Amino acid sequence: MTDPLWQILWHMVPLSLASFGGGPAIIAGLDVMVRQNGWIAPQDFLHLFAISRAAPGPGTTLATLIGWRLAGWTGATLASLAIYLPSSLVCYLVYRATSRHRDRKWHRAMREGLAPVGTGLVISGSIALIQISGNGWAGPAISVGAFLIFQGLPRIPAVLVLMAGGAASLLLAALS
Amino acid sequence: MRDTRTDPAPVPAGALFLTCLKVGSLSFGGGLTGWLHREFVQRRGWVSDDDFSATLAIAQVLPGANVVNLVVCLGEELRGPLGAVACVTGFLLPPVLSVLGLALLFDRLGQFPAVEIAMLGIACAALGMLLQICWLGLRRAKGSPRRLAVIAAVVVGVTVLKLPMILVVLLVAPVSVWLVWRRG
Repeated sequence: MTDPLWQILWHMVPLSLASFGGGPAIIAGLDVMVRQNGWIAPQDFLHLFAISRAAPGPGTTLATLIGWRLAGWTGATLASLAIYLPSSLVCYLVYRATSRHRDRKWHRAMREGLAPVGTGLVISGSIALIQISGNGWAGPAISVGAFLIFQGLPRIPAVLVLMAGGAASLLLAALS
Repeated sequence: MRDTRTDPAPVPAGALFLTCLKVGSLSFGGGLTGWLHREFVQRRGWVSDDDFSATLAIAQVLPGANVVNLVVCLGEELRGPLGAVACVTGFLLPPVLSVLGLALLFDRLGQFPAVEIAMLGIACAALGMLLQICWLGLRRAKGSPRRLAVIAAVVVGVTVLKLPMILVVLLVAPVSVWLVWRRG
């Protein structure tokens, strides 16, 4: 079971099936997975996280990048399938089976009960990422600044804010 | 209530694939739910706004990336199993390929410290989007001790006690659903 391809399947399929809270839960899970197994250095993880956010699409393509680091193109393909296929199958089956019960009490209780669990997972994931983003104040300052911009200007293209974050980081590094 | 809803006319799988391919290629920096709403509800009128929101709620409570679940459900709604496959492959192909392309590019440029510093800044700015989700979730929980307690239990379990995330979800989720159920 030391084959990296097996490692990818063994860890990512359960994560896919347990990732209540969506993308941020997956990212937090990948972070824990990578740290506990010592697969890649925390700094490299953050680097891959940044790449996954700079690309279009869901941030969970971070899983693809981790698979790629571990086992090249095969690893990337396998990791993508392992993270997306199991949860998509479950979602498909549940959606088919329950969409006619949307107004039932148990369906509403399920939706409402799982929502705060998701919020808690997002908060945990954010804390984990803040912890690995270095011990200076520049990183958290950029995060909070970006948050305020997203909050105040909801229509601003996200790419602009991300580019500004990169520029701010360079500026702060040059000044210090 | 599938029976009482107006059943949408089936949409060709090719059209679903191309629409999802477009969203997958252009949605830089997140906001994918907004993109999907724009394409499926506003521009093409394939699903109603109400159906979109209900589907989104289901996609969010199930495990897996919310937007990926959302396109699976939309595909099933509009064209059955083939639609679900068309949507999810179209949606994921561009991001997976571009993320690998960027990684190759940055590995070449990685020896320049400036690139490393800029990438860190981008990552921190992206974290701002996660903070926004935290903020919205906490604001929805305001005035609900039940929701706040559930959020706190998850954060303490994962961050302070460092328990496996799966264990925390399995412990907290049933209690949370039961609390809503009991209230009626």
